[in-house]
Amino acid sequence: MSVAFVLAWALCLAAGTALWLALDPRQGPGWRAAALGHGCVFGMLAAAGATALAARADTAHALWRAGPLLLLMAIACVLIWRARVRPGFVYDAANAKKWTAALLGIAVVSLAWRGWTALREILLRPTYPWDAWDAWAVKSKTWALLGHHAPFVPIDEWLRHPARELYTSIAWGYPSTLAWMQVWFASAAGGWIEPLVNLPWFALWIGLLLAHYGQWRALGMRRAQALAGTYALGSLPLLDVHVALAGYADLWVAAVLGFAVLAWLRWMQRRERTQLAIAVACAALLPLLKLEGAVWLSLFAATVIYGLLPVHWRRRAFVLLLCLFGLVVAVSGLKLPVPGLGWVDIGRDYLSVPIIGRLNIAWHGPAFAGVLNSLFVQPNWHLLWWIAPVIVLWRWRTLRANAATRHLGSFLLAALGFLFFLFVFTDAASFAETYTAINRLLMHIVPSLLTFLMLLLRDASAAPADTVPRPAVRSAAV
Amino acid sequence: MIRRVVCVIVIGIIWVCALGWAAGMRWNTPLWPAQKIVLPAREFHVVMGAGAEDGDALQVGAVGGDGNALQSTRITPVVAQDLPILRYRFQDFPRTLELSLVFRRADTPDDVQVITIPWPGEGWRTVDLRNVPEWRGEIVELGFIEYATAQLVPPSVAFRPFRFVRAELHSPSWRGGVAGLSTAWFAYVPWALLSVSALAPDRATAGTSSPLPVLLPALALSVLAAALILGWSRRRLLRRAGIAVAILWLLLDLRWLRDFGNRHALTESLYAGKSWQERQRLLPEQDLLAAADRIRDWLATLPPAPRILLDADSKYAFLRLIYLLLPQNIGLLSLSGNAELPAGSVIVLYSSSTWSYDAPRRRLSGSGRSYPVDALFEDGVVRLYRLRERAR
Repeated sequence: MSVAFVLAWALCLAAGTALWLALDPRQGPGWRAAALGHGCVFGMLAAAGATALAARADTAHALWRAGPLLLLMAIACVLIWRARVRPGFVYDAANAKKWTAALLGIAVVSLAWRGWTALREILLRPTYPWDAWDAWAVKSKTWALLGHHAPFVPIDEWLRHPARELYTSIAWGYPSTLAWMQVWFASAAGGWIEPLVNLPWFALWIGLLLAHYGQWRALGMRRAQALAGTYALGSLPLLDVHVALAGYADLWVAAVLGFAVLAWLRWMQRRERTQLAIAVACAALLPLLKLEGAVWLSLFAATVIYGLLPVHWRRRAFVLLLCLFGLVVAVSGLKLPVPGLGWVDIGRDYLSVPIIGRLNIAWHGPAFAGVLNSLFVQPNWHLLWWIAPVIVLWRWRTLRANAATRHLGSFLLAALGFLFFLFVFTDAASFAETYTAINRLLMHIVPSLLTFLMLLLRDASAAPADTVPRPAVRSAAV
Repeated sequence: MIRRVVCVIVIGIIWVCALGWAAGMRWNTPLWPAQKIVLPAREFHVVMGAGAEDGDALQVGAVGGDGNALQSTRITPVVAQDLPILRYRFQDFPRTLELSLVFRRADTPDDVQVITIPWPGEGWRTVDLRNVPEWRGEIVELGFIEYATAQLVPPSVAFRPFRFVRAELHSPSWRGGVAGLSTAWFAYVPWALLSVSALAPDRATAGTSSPLPVLLPALALSVLAAALILGWSRRRLLRRAGIAVAILWLLLDLRWLRDFGNRHALTESLYAGKSWQERQRLLPEQDLLAAADRIRDWLATLPPAPRILLDADSKYAFLRLIYLLLPQNIGLLSLSGNAELPAGSVIVLYSSSTWSYDAPRRRLSGSGRSYPVDALFEDGVVRLYRLRERAR
């Protein structure tokens, strides 16, 4: 690895970590892990943004064109952090029992071993999974090899303007954020070297685990519980596969949505305004990572807004939603705006989404079997989907008593409802029957689901009291 | 003390029932197979590739021209349902190869049935063929075919010599069922294109399955039985159930780590110690890589075309070619519909049966369209044409 490549990584980590520290200067439990984890991911996304801004005309030298922006950002954020830094909330529980510590030690070793295996896999193998080369790396490889940016357009436009330097691809409409990130690392690597441009997926995994550990600690979990949760998250086979066979955008969506949820929870629990800003920023990033991110953004925004409403307004909002649903059933052809997707045409027996096309609505029995297989039979998620409903039932009182956990539960319920509808009631059912998409979309909400389960299992004595004010007070505060 | 003994016995019964059910056994299934046919490798003859007898075994030293090795033997006709448990043993079988069982049935002697079976590794592997629809009627010929792992291994580096030791066909028994279950749960499954979407169906391999739907219910029943027999309080039951789930999670994870390690071992064996320049030439689809090289060379000799369009029968082939040819500016001919193609555009066809060239009329026709073109190059499966005038 060249000095330039190391520098590219150092700039990413410095800028991202400094950004997190500037936004969250409290030094409470898990703050270092949260800073490094978020910093890792934010840094890579910042590099993508800086490259898109400063290196469009000269992608070969993206490091030198976009690097100064990252450096400036890092310096500015460090200065802000130094000015804002203060000791944070401190609460900790007694050390874990010896056998628990031993088990957790094994868990950490197993995470390290799989991390090493995934890293070797990335560093050795040319880009392998289908969509990685067919969709996600087409723009980045083109821009990296061309030496400059060229727009990607639909094929009819491409044919209409033969004199213009336009490119086309079946994935021309996919978001370009990850493509720009790959251009940044390709520039630092000195060319299109696939293992090196895929290395961010390993850093993403590390960032995902560290950030969740850090934020779980900040949310009041004991060290042992947070470590156990981190192990559970890191051990999920399909997540490991997305690291080892790098190139898909799904893990990015899962991580950033997970970050949004964690920050939202911290805001609900401790009223930290910067955490709300982080939650909003992360949620807004989702459609820039993958088109499906627009759906998660919409559901997340709807849940956050719903949670902000006074109780009597919530009831009205719920009635309004029911009326809207009735309207959709009664009036075919209702159009609703969805950020990132455009105007979605909803009919009684169809759903028309720009870019995706028309999806007919009907019950698909085999797809239902595919959903059950994906959740409960295949070894993609270990025991996650088996134990999730059991934990919800077991900790039902905790769920009802804690507003933050309840709101997160509502969001997850809406997300699962959406996926169930998509894969069992629309033409997308074929993706559940063939298992080509269902698990990847489920993966988007898996880190958030684990956060939800961790909150339900959180030892009440170690956790700070539910600090979510009554809804009326909250709406006034906001 | 008595309660504990009863508890152990009940839990033992639960697990025997669960494993027996998973292995497709009944209470009256014998412990040992009532019938078996032993097929030493020396009785197999080499149909493709090259091999030599090595005692009772067969040393396979080369593949045939098509990259496959096949060993087969005629057997005294056997009823498939009577002998559905297949056992096989190979030595030094390379991780780069995939293994399939081939057989002929008496009812369709001209058809060869091919079933992908788990990678043999070292030691015996056992596959229960009762769930394989093709395994029925009378079997008259049996064999094994080896080939580069599909979608994963470049055929040029796939083969290394190995030793085929023996195959056996058994009637159902608890021994065979448990061995089959062990193979089904722990057999090495290589990466496949579907691996990023789902782990169990990522390879259509007979005799592999997930242990999840067996282990968790058996564990839940065991904890429940222990709670009832030993009179656990609700608190103790919850705590023990939590510990049991954690241990099962760890066991499943150990199984996954073993699988992950095995999958990675192939990557190490293929790519470790090689430079990036060498590794990027070691792609599984070497035919496409060679075609991309040829197309790139030909395009370099032509004046710049306003647009280049590509088509192939296989979706994988045309998408992969476009990626390999980047940053060449190439669009998909199949997506162009009735849009007008600019004059001078180049049309690249790879292994395409959709499009045919009428040399006397100098027209390229297919998919309900017809373009006036000049033929530029043709080399086996790759053809290049240039549009004489703009056309739709």
